[in-house]
Amino acid sequence: MFYREAGQYKASYGADQAIFPIAQDRFVVLAGMAVAFLVVPFLASEYTYRAVLIPTVILTLAAIGLNVLMGYCGQVSLGSGAFMGVGAYAAFNLAIRLPFLNPLVCILLSGFVAAAIGIAFGIPSLRIKGFYLACATLAAQFFGDWAFLRIKWVTNHTPSGSVNAPPIQMFGYDLSSPTATYLIALTITIVLGLAAKNIVRGHIGRQWMAIRDMDIAAEIIGVRPLFAKLSAFAVSSFLIGVAGAMWAFLYLGSWEPAAFSIDRSFQLMFMVIIGGLGSILGSALGAIFIVLLPIFLNQALPPLGALIGWKISTATVSHFESMIFGALIVFFLVVEPHGLARLWSVAKEKLRLWPFPH
Amino acid sequence: MAIPGEGRSRVFDEVLLSVENISLSFGGVRALSDISFDIRKGEIRAIIGPNGAGKSSMLNCINGFYHPQQGAITYKGVRRARMRPHEAAAQGIARTFQNIALFKGMSTLDNIMTGRNLRMKSGLFWQALRIGPAAREEIEHRRVVERIIDFLEIQHIRKAPVGQLPYGLQKRVELGRALAAEPELLLLDEPMAGMNLEEKQDMCRFVLDVNDEFGTTICLIEHDMGVVMDISDRVVVLDYGRKIGDGVPDTVKNDKAVIEAYLGVSH
Ligand SMILES: Nc1ncnc2c1ncn2[C@@H]1O[C@H](COP(=O)(O)OP(=O)(O)O)[C@@H](O)[C@H]1O
Ligand SMILES: [Mg+2]
Repeated sequence: MFYREAGQYKASYGADQAIFPIAQDRFVVLAGMAVAFLVVPFLASEYTYRAVLIPTVILTLAAIGLNVLMGYCGQVSLGSGAFMGVGAYAAFNLAIRLPFLNPLVCILLSGFVAAAIGIAFGIPSLRIKGFYLACATLAAQFFGDWAFLRIKWVTNHTPSGSVNAPPIQMFGYDLSSPTATYLIALTITIVLGLAAKNIVRGHIGRQWMAIRDMDIAAEIIGVRPLFAKLSAFAVSSFLIGVAGAMWAFLYLGSWEPAAFSIDRSFQLMFMVIIGGLGSILGSALGAIFIVLLPIFLNQALPPLGALIGWKISTATVSHFESMIFGALIVFFLVVEPHGLARLWSVAKEKLRLWPFPH
Repeated sequence: MAIPGEGRSRVFDEVLLSVENISLSFGGVRALSDISFDIRKGEIRAIIGPNGAGKSSMLNCINGFYHPQQGAITYKGVRRARMRPHEAAAQGIARTFQNIALFKGMSTLDNIMTGRNLRMKSGLFWQALRIGPAAREEIEHRRVVERIIDFLEIQHIRKAPVGQLPYGLQKRVELGRALAAEPELLLLDEPMAGMNLEEKQDMCRFVLDVNDEFGTTICLIEHDMGVVMDISDRVVVLDYGRKIGDGVPDTVKNDKAVIEAYLGVSH
């Protein structure tokens, strides 16, 4: 009844191609942004910022990056953790070697370093696909683990291997409060997320999807596989790199190489699968889900267990978490490869027809 | 549909593409042996022959997907070396496939828009902002694509994911995608296979209209002899990888070797 495009006639192709062609969608998105920017800062506690909001916002950007590569271009990657690391260490090195640069500028520039390295590690994709490509990107992950630990220059010869981010400030103002950190991360994620959305719905995005759906046919209508695949690796690594730099500078503050291990790669992959392959919105849903689920289980399981006289330890909760993730991954891979994003659009479709189901 | 004796008596002189002494084998299987023929600018050229005769392989050689071991292909007067399919596309050769090869995860509109990728030039930066050249380009090409959608009468499935469309419509969308490239040479691999009579008639009409209205040179593979005789200007007949006939439909139809190899068997 309320969610309808009836009566909203598109008078031009421009209007039909707008990012949110349906007015209600536009409204929901604007309202969501208003809440995120204007309301949340008045409500959130320091704990909510640190445990929920900041990680969700940053990992959303990383998931969008991985989704560009996996969901849109169809190239598997198990190296996204390492690419977050590349972003983090690139930003760190820019900050200490070019101290006149603002740390926020370093965060953005780190994306370009990650993009360049992403292109290099994307070259095998021109020859190999699927499982073999997954192995090649796994090699990128292990190479990253090794480089962050062993190449001393990367950590500026810090004996412990642990490095610190510079304090975030701008025009002499200190921006390290949780609220400021959250707003900075949110702004970067939204701006780059919208940019990614624009790219995937333009001709470059169509080339990526063409390669994903049928690479032979794509080539036959003139898509150059070299350009399409490497540009996907570049854009994906850029976004993941910026997310990694934010993770280091805005969330961790000080970190060790283990922060960007294979576990992170898998976590991002789960977000993309659960959220929905080939959906920018899905990437955000996946990130929210994966950050919130453990917190929710930690809060909910012990009281539930107490009800039936069963004492649930923290260890048990984390076992549950793994089991639930496992089951969900299998469910989404088998039943709904388009993830939460599809469930969302099915719900919208129902709403569009409601209350007359046919 | 087949009206005996009715061919199209048009004459074409300018050679667009010529195939000289092409041989292609896969391991021990000889798919094509010593084939030569030409395609003239503006004509509708048919390739016929029984299953496994090497027709699809021939198209694959022309658009750079297979590389013949012997022989040469001259296109627009240039004898070409080994080339990749996307290079052939850049030179104005588009095609459809015997087994539909659409982008299943994309809508009809996006599939056809992808056909214009060679003409869309704006870089990543403008794409990311989607203003200026990127926005203008998208609308400009959308306009062309909408004309193709109108021409093929598929307005109602514009936004539908192509994976869910019935077979006949998928074939039409695939034709649309090839047309979006505004090719000089359009290769159609069995565009009417598996269609009912009405769908076949529609498809014939589209093929003829494309040829008439845009002057596109068309080379098509087709099994239905009636259709071939009706719409093609000249016909090449292949059998077991060899050329056994070449000429206007009337001549080919009455050729003894052709009748024995092909017409006699299935019709
Ligand atoms: N990629 C390939 N690998 C091996 N054999 C092939 C390949 N493509 C075609 N062939 C063989 O070449 C011959 C001709 O096939 P094709 O060109 O598809 O025939 P048609 O299209 O006339 O039915 C067949 O014997 C087929 O098995
Ligand atoms: Mg064939």
